[in-house]
Amino acid sequence: MVDQIMHTGNKPAPTLATTLAFAIVAISITVAFASGQLVTLLLNLGLNTFAAYPEIFVFLVIAVLATIASAMPNSNRLAIVSIAGVMGYIALTYNQDMLIKYLSLAALLFSIGMYGMVVSRNAVRVLMSIELMLNAVNLNLVAFARYVDPVHIRGQIFAIFILTVAAAEAAVGLAIVLAIYRNTSTVDMEKFNLLKW
Amino acid sequence: MKIDGTVVRGDHFSGNIAEIRKFAVMSLSWLTVIFVAVWGVCWALGIFIPMCLANSSFDFAAILSEVCKALTPIAAVLVFIPINAMFMVLMERRALALFTRRNGPNRVGPDGALQTAADAVKLLLKEDITPTGADALMFTLAPIIFFAPSIFGALPLLAAVTNNHKLFQIVDLPTGIFYVLAASSVPVVGIVMGGWASNNKYSLMGGLRSAAQAISYEIPLVLSLVTICLLAGTLDVVSIAYQQSGGLLNWNILGGGALIGLNKAIAALVSSSGAPFAEVMNAYYPYGWLSFVGAAVLCMCTVILFGVYLIGACAEINRIPFDLPEAESELVSGYNTEYSGIKFAIFFLAEFTNLFIVSTIAVVMFLGSGDCPLPTWLNPLSYPAVYEPLAKALSPVLSVLINDLHLINPPTFWAALWVIFKTYSLIFFAILVRGTLPRFRIDQLMDFGWKRLIPITLVIFVLVAFARGVINFHV
Amino acid sequence: MEQFELLTNWAQVNVEAFVLYALAIIAIPCAFCVLFDRAIIRSGFFLIGVFGAVCGLFLILQAQFLALAQLMIYTVGITLVVVIALMLTNPRLEKEGVAVEGRERFSGLVIATVFFLTIYCALRSESWPLSSLRMNPENVKQIGAALITTYALPFEFASVLLLAALMGAILLAKAEPKNDVSKIAGEN
Repeated sequence: MVDQIMHTGNKPAPTLATTLAFAIVAISITVAFASGQLVTLLLNLGLNTFAAYPEIFVFLVIAVLATIASAMPNSNRLAIVSIAGVMGYIALTYNQDMLIKYLSLAALLFSIGMYGMVVSRNAVRVLMSIELMLNAVNLNLVAFARYVDPVHIRGQIFAIFILTVAAAEAAVGLAIVLAIYRNTSTVDMEKFNLLKW
Repeated sequence: MKIDGTVVRGDHFSGNIAEIRKFAVMSLSWLTVIFVAVWGVCWALGIFIPMCLANSSFDFAAILSEVCKALTPIAAVLVFIPINAMFMVLMERRALALFTRRNGPNRVGPDGALQTAADAVKLLLKEDITPTGADALMFTLAPIIFFAPSIFGALPLLAAVTNNHKLFQIVDLPTGIFYVLAASSVPVVGIVMGGWASNNKYSLMGGLRSAAQAISYEIPLVLSLVTICLLAGTLDVVSIAYQQSGGLLNWNILGGGALIGLNKAIAALVSSSGAPFAEVMNAYYPYGWLSFVGAAVLCMCTVILFGVYLIGACAEINRIPFDLPEAESELVSGYNTEYSGIKFAIFFLAEFTNLFIVSTIAVVMFLGSGDCPLPTWLNPLSYPAVYEPLAKALSPVLSVLINDLHLINPPTFWAALWVIFKTYSLIFFAILVRGTLPRFRIDQLMDFGWKRLIPITLVIFVLVAFARGVINFHV
Repeated sequence: MEQFELLTNWAQVNVEAFVLYALAIIAIPCAFCVLFDRAIIRSGFFLIGVFGAVCGLFLILQAQFLALAQLMIYTVGITLVVVIALMLTNPRLEKEGVAVEGRERFSGLVIATVFFLTIYCALRSESWPLSSLRMNPENVKQIGAALITTYALPFEFASVLLLAALMGAILLAKAEPKNDVSKIAGEN
């Protein structure tokens, strides 16, 4: 029984080659951008539009490469997406203010949560995605409290209220999931379509 | 041992006296070794190296000495935890043997004093097995997540137990006790993780039980400490420790400061120099009998809170009678069934460290931290005539040690001695409880937590919030 | 924190940004793992990883109280989610695949990406009224004072909300006597 609960690694292990190649390319392009050599390279190549916004260029390159790499057979998609996310984030925010770095991170986490909420079939995972989104919002508020309103720190106080609401939401959400499970013996979101005509 | 009535009694008694003497000698020598070693490391890293660097002329000297000073608290904790856990395991086994009239470990070293050192070597040399079907990443992460919070959780307490020694002021956080509580809520994740990742039904059951138990008992635990913070008016452990200085009557276990006025009034009466008795009493208890009732209520509440704290702490760290997650007879020692070698050693280390930390929290929050229990007006040491001759005789040695080498810091020294005494007494008490009480059943455990402890702490919280209005605290 | 400024001045690099990136390198992969890991239990543990990283971010943003509250509430809360996921997850269903069919998946990806890029562009085009004032190092006290003066009413409402949620959760979960109510109630 427990074996069934903890099914782990019954898929063939993905090969490392694609992932590693992608990681090396993504990291080197980000480092080149951070050290400023990418801009000179782009100018030498005559790509002036991209040289004005090198971070967009890096982001696009990484996104395209990630799509290609994850489409390869036997690649470790999770690792590729993670590396692409981290490197894209670093490239987009490297030359920005501290505030924008925090806000972008929060936006990224929020988008990840939103995507998870849309695509997850497991109701518990949907709840987790919602928690992730709420936390990203909290990060926003605390960053504002630090950089825009350090005297009254209203952002932090608002974040406390969000924390309580998140706790209430999680409690009720889990109880609902539990109740649904009792009626349908599943937590699959696709099967909760009783109200669909 | 004879079966015959009267003789047996005397026989028991004399037999135990020898064992108790051995136990005491073993404890004292181990404690000396532990604390000399820990203080030696702190002194070398925080005082001696910076002193040497101050005389040198190379560029990074200043920065290097700052780094050394900043690393001192971490080094202290890291050196302390393994040696202390070895001692505590030995102490537990010897003490349990005492309670059950056995001999306990007595082969390795003099009277078995090196038994746990040998055990530690054995554990570290054993093969580290990951069971088939286990989730390798989570299986490895679990002991780390279980252990890491106890290192970080111990840090803010360092300043409080050493009378705010300047080496440890860096870890004196304004949110001290909250930080400790937050750190102590993390280990349950490690237990659930380890229980799930082991791919074993007993481990899984242990992990689930642990989650339920830790969550249920964290609420009374936190509420009892929050009530003490309410009385103290601060979250800073050093301030809380300082507020309690000056004898038993000032400790948080007796009214959380409600008896400070009484203490001061008696001191005024004894010294017959300062303000008169009635005036001091009026300053602290302005509403007459109402204030006295309030003080009595506060005393009662804090004593109950101390009991609640001890119970909650026992449940948090899975000690008997709350050791359901690792019940040997039911779950084959629960979440750590599948662990062996160094990972098991880490679990083991963390459990004993957690016991030490919750005892230290109790000492700092309730039992006056490094304070002598005798009130100042009763304490012979507060009258210099008692110890002055001795101090004079030793003064050449002491002045070198204290002023030149900074090897001894008298306030820290006495405070640390008291803390050590109180903390290990509480640990001894926990062992006594282990030797006395049977294990709870899981439903009894839940009932007791939710239907008894939480309502009690909530009622006390409200009572304290009202009662503290009729007394002047910390004038 | 002030130590960051000292270190920044000394080491000639932005220490705060460095720590931020280090935490982002933990948070972002963990967030992806929450979505894509096949075992729901492991997703839960990765979610705790994300929250741990966010707690670190709160610390470098000088919000000690929030950081510690976050740690306390979420480690316990998510452990509960994990426990409930463990009880409710049907392993056969999980093996069929994690996500919904391709079309919805693709539209979700497009929406999330467009959303992120829109916010990013908005962030960059805005000129923020950054304040150079220092934060009060004792901001825990400040939060406490604000919560019982200016924000006393919302604070009370939050407590009523929590009570209502607690009772609602117990009511919803209590339908069958064999169920363990205490775990649900422990959420708050």
